[in-house]
Amino acid sequence: MSQPRDYRLHEGTVIDHLPVGSAARALELLGLPREGSITVGINVPSPSQGQKDIVRVEGLFLEKHESDRLALLGEHITVSIVRDGAVAEKTVLDVPDRLLGILACRNPTCITNEEQVQTVFLKQGGFPYHFRCAYCERVSATEA
Amino acid sequence: MADHVHAGKAFFGRSVVSAEDFTKDEILALLDAARSYDRFEDGTPSFQPVPATLQGRVLGLLFFEPSTRTRLSFESAMLRLGGSVLGFADARISSFSKGETLVDTIRVVEGYCDAIVLRHPKEGAARLAAEVARVPVLNGGDGSNQHPTQTFLDLYTIREAAGQLDGLKVGFMGDLRYGRTVHSLASALLHFDVDLKFIGPENLRLPSDLRGQLKQAGRLGAEVTQLADAGDLDVLYVTRIQKERFPDPMDYERVRNAYRVDREALAPLGENLKILHPLPRVNEVATEVDDLPGAIYFQQSRNGVTVRMALLDLILGGRAGAGAS
Ligand SMILES: [Zn+2]
Repeated sequence: MSQPRDYRLHEGTVIDHLPVGSAARALELLGLPREGSITVGINVPSPSQGQKDIVRVEGLFLEKHESDRLALLGEHITVSIVRDGAVAEKTVLDVPDRLLGILACRNPTCITNEEQVQTVFLKQGGFPYHFRCAYCERVSATEA
Repeated sequence: MADHVHAGKAFFGRSVVSAEDFTKDEILALLDAARSYDRFEDGTPSFQPVPATLQGRVLGLLFFEPSTRTRLSFESAMLRLGGSVLGFADARISSFSKGETLVDTIRVVEGYCDAIVLRHPKEGAARLAAEVARVPVLNGGDGSNQHPTQTFLDLYTIREAAGQLDGLKVGFMGDLRYGRTVHSLASALLHFDVDLKFIGPENLRLPSDLRGQLKQAGRLGAEVTQLADAGDLDVLYVTRIQKERFPDPMDYERVRNAYRVDREALAPLGENLKILHPLPRVNEVATEVDDLPGAIYFQQSRNGVTVRMALLDLILGGRAGAGAS
């Protein structure tokens, strides 16, 4: 039996080294599927992680607020931008120390849940990340 | 001392959202300034007559939830410095709250006054107000989050009563988990060489992040459920245990009787023990304790005025402008 064709991208983005089980959440965060073919690998063997998830999206190029959100899913997630069938740029996602406007505060009595204000969260320590709301000062764990 | 005088200038035009925003030198500068408003005559505290350094200045008091003590204390402080106050004591009787956002209210009221005291039920309200206001915002309590002037007056009270802050054994008793005053004061005391002890019921123990912070600083002296097990103390800070924390009213009754201090419970701790309470008390401190020389909770409440006088004067540049120390 012949193997399916290799799902190489022509123009698009490969999100690799996602923790196992996070591919679906990654698609949800990015509002996918949209147009363009998507291939998703789940429980893919990985020399460095044992297993990983991987998402390849044709025609997608991430905005900063999207990569900031993806970064919350795990450590060492990589994003490769593919142009003309070749990797043009590869970055390891990093969670910024200050997250601006991309998370909502879990504290129901936080002022940010009442007023029109951009949220500000300060990263506390390493993965799994905890964030301190700059307004109500509560620290919470965040599954992106 | 020179450092403190310099640090005092750092208050000018500044908002006061959280005690954690201030350095040790800045806090000491504030406490030194507060002392200049206190006068003791034959052991009776009174206020030092001071020039009307804030004459013509207006303080806005925006109390979106009632807190009579905090409001009257700020009012007294501003009036004693020759200034005036305006505002509302309860948002329910003010047209300001009718659908208007906090940000809009602040932008309107900043046009009426030179500084704003904000009390608000939502955590983070003061931080937001301070960001948008062109005048300094003083946090008079934002939900369960911060109440920095309470922390400053607590520090002032302990320092004046004990003579210094370094070297003290300070016990906190009551609701250690949700008690905002406990958390802020314990954090602020980390600036000093203190031994902190905590006495409270199992279900109201310290939050883990604060415990970690205290441990890391090497200041966590003891965590016990009985006052008798706390060992020596120079200061005992008692707080109220709220009924809402107990789903079973029976548990609440049991706990509130276990964490009530009377003369008998305090006797082993000696005559030099200073007893503080942020007030109002329910029954945590028996009235028979009031006559002990170490019972200084009413003095503590009164100190709120001198500390707020110092804060308002430094922020609005009353004496800083005149170059007085
Ligand atoms: Zn918040």
